Amino acid sequence: MQPATRQPLLSPEGLHPSLWRGSQLARAGQRCLPTGYAALSSELPGGGWPVGTLIDLLVAQPGIGEMRLLRPVLSTLPAHRRIALLQPPYTPHVASWITLGLAPSQLLWLKPERTVDALWAAEQVLKNGSCSALLYWQPHIRPESLRRLHLAAQSGDALFFMFRPAAAAQDSSPSPLRLLLEPAGDDLRLHIVKRRGPSHNQAIVVSLNPPAADTCVPYPPTSIEQSDALVDQRPSDATQPGRAVPALV
Amino acid sequence: MWISVHLTQLSLDVLCPRWSELPSQARVVLDHERVQAMTPAAADSGVRAGMRRGGVTTIAPEVVLLERDPAREVETRNDVALCLLQYTPELAYAEDDSLLLDVGASLLAFGGPRGICRRIRHSLQLLGFHAQVGMAPTAQGAWLLARHPRPRHRRALQSQTLERRITRLPCSVLPAARPHHDWLEGIGCRTLGALGKLPRAGLQRRCGKDISAALDRAHGKAPELFDWVVAPVIFNARLELIERIDRTESVLFVAHRLLQQMTGWLVARHYAVARIELGLEHERGRHAIPPTLLQISLAEPAWHPEHLVRLLKEKLAQLVLIAPVIAVSLQAPDVVLRPPPSESLFPEPGNTPADHHRLLELLTARLGPEHVLQPQPLADHRPEVANGWLPAPQTKQRALPPGPPLAERPFWLLEKPIALIVQQHRPVYGSRLRVLRGPERIESGWWDGPQVSRDYFIAEADNKARYWVYQDYTQDMRWFLHGMFA
Repeated sequence: MQPATRQPLLSPEGLHPSLWRGSQLARAGQRCLPTGYAALSSELPGGGWPVGTLIDLLVAQPGIGEMRLLRPVLSTLPAHRRIALLQPPYTPHVASWITLGLAPSQLLWLKPERTVDALWAAEQVLKNGSCSALLYWQPHIRPESLRRLHLAAQSGDALFFMFRPAAAAQDSSPSPLRLLLEPAGDDLRLHIVKRRGPSHNQAIVVSLNPPAADTCVPYPPTSIEQSDALVDQRPSDATQPGRAVPALV
Repeated sequence: MWISVHLTQLSLDVLCPRWSELPSQARVVLDHERVQAMTPAAADSGVRAGMRRGGVTTIAPEVVLLERDPAREVETRNDVALCLLQYTPELAYAEDDSLLLDVGASLLAFGGPRGICRRIRHSLQLLGFHAQVGMAPTAQGAWLLARHPRPRHRRALQSQTLERRITRLPCSVLPAARPHHDWLEGIGCRTLGALGKLPRAGLQRRCGKDISAALDRAHGKAPELFDWVVAPVIFNARLELIERIDRTESVLFVAHRLLQQMTGWLVARHYAVARIELGLEHERGRHAIPPTLLQISLAEPAWHPEHLVRLLKEKLAQLVLIAPVIAVSLQAPDVVLRPPPSESLFPEPGNTPADHHRLLELLTARLGPEHVLQPQPLADHRPEVANGWLPAPQTKQRALPPGPPLAERPFWLLEKPIALIVQQHRPVYGSRLRVLRGPERIESGWWDGPQVSRDYFIAEADNKARYWVYQDYTQDMRWFLHGMFA
């Protein structure tokens, strides 16, 4: 073939579903569930959380809004299938789960004593397929275990989120989607560490509006010591209008 | 369509089970002081079938001589029959350590003639027996083909193929012809084909009716009558072990075999089992040790062996044997009638409640019931009391009465609140906390234990993480961290 007649391939995605250009987002091979945040969905391949895939969420510390980030997608899951929490860092609070708008009967809390048991349990949950989502907290994990879990996730249609410390962002992972989460008060800052598509350097800020803000008692936007000071403050002995200067005894 | 299972070395298999290390040793089974069967190691040292005891001890003194145990063989044959009942209800014993199965109605359910043969061979392998499986349109034909020396020729689906295969078999295969072996040899009649061509009247006069009757049955020219095996009313399988077992892995092999028998029994009686009991018997006699009893209850009655094997595996992995095991028994005390198969057009794989029950059982078996939890919220104001969790498989979930909308609550709750130090009148956790919302007073619990009297605040640290902190009125207004907003 003559080099002059060779046409540049304009749309490689037409050849095979798993081909894409480096400048565009890949198309998801599997079903994706909407994230509930437009800013985030537009940056993910397939426009949502992919099911049957290991999704790496790198969290600086537990309790920065990771569950509120997942609230919209968890509420779209069918109510008769369980959501398994495997080895969470603290006790899950059922009342909070209810305020997130989810049914407590969906929850399943697994707290194995050893890492081997946790990995085994994760694999069993993923292979069984009766749970609609698995949320797994694991500070340290070997790459081959991650690969095995990713393979197990592919055999089913469960959402599989893996929560790992932020330091793990430096390590390689078989997961096709990795996000770094940073706290920002009522918001959450997300960095896309890895995705099937061009690299994304800016942080995505999603707003995790508190679900029951109207039922909360608003606190005056002053700090504690100021309010305490107001209570404790005695009128000063300095000169005040309409008050006689005490005479020195 | 018929399948015949020929247990080729039953007398040896019952005394040297396949799952133990015994078959690799040189062992010989004697029947009336003559060698009846031997292990490959014994054959290598020159032992042949039909040798006398003295001959064996002369040429191979290291070979272990075992006496044949007919009672045990009968028992084992019954066990095999029970296991094979899972493929067809029409099963009969035949002469020469054989079983006959009428599988005409089962072919579709088990994946065709090849599929059912493969599954039967697999079952027999799990039971630990050497067997040859023959398949033919007639029972006698299948019985003959099971003795065919070439494995590929043991299956004949057409009558013509069957006749072609039978004619080439030697006369000695037919039990009725064995007493007349020398005479038949003398007249040059070596195969069943030649035997069939002999004048019928003359053959019957010399050798009786049995030979020609058997050939007629094999060719489908005469009717065959059977005494079907009936499954017992109560399942109670017990296996006395040849050698002591002191490892739980070996117990699992034995339990696997017993479970195969139970599967056959459950299928034959249309039952599903809700509870099984595995008994491990230890030393008897003067130093008797009570047997270890392993109970497994199932949330969803089951009849497939795979799930039971997985549960047993996890249970046995946790078990520490107090003494070597000399016998293993399996009982099914609780059985229910098997539910009819689902009639929904598009069954969802993996989403059935039964699958979920199986998952919970499996997780509980390995992790322990106190580590597989589901919420059991209580109507209480104290967060640590309201946040109840109970073992998942047993508890029935109670729905909480709908109350007023709850205030904002953190997703992570600390099991023990952390006391915080105070700097410049502000609690410190990582950095000084800034209070955003609150207070929310919780005063409760005077009726059970010390009263709780707290003011809860939502506070934010410098890195924008949100915390749930409280001031305890009963403890000098000290600050505590109780949760984190995830």
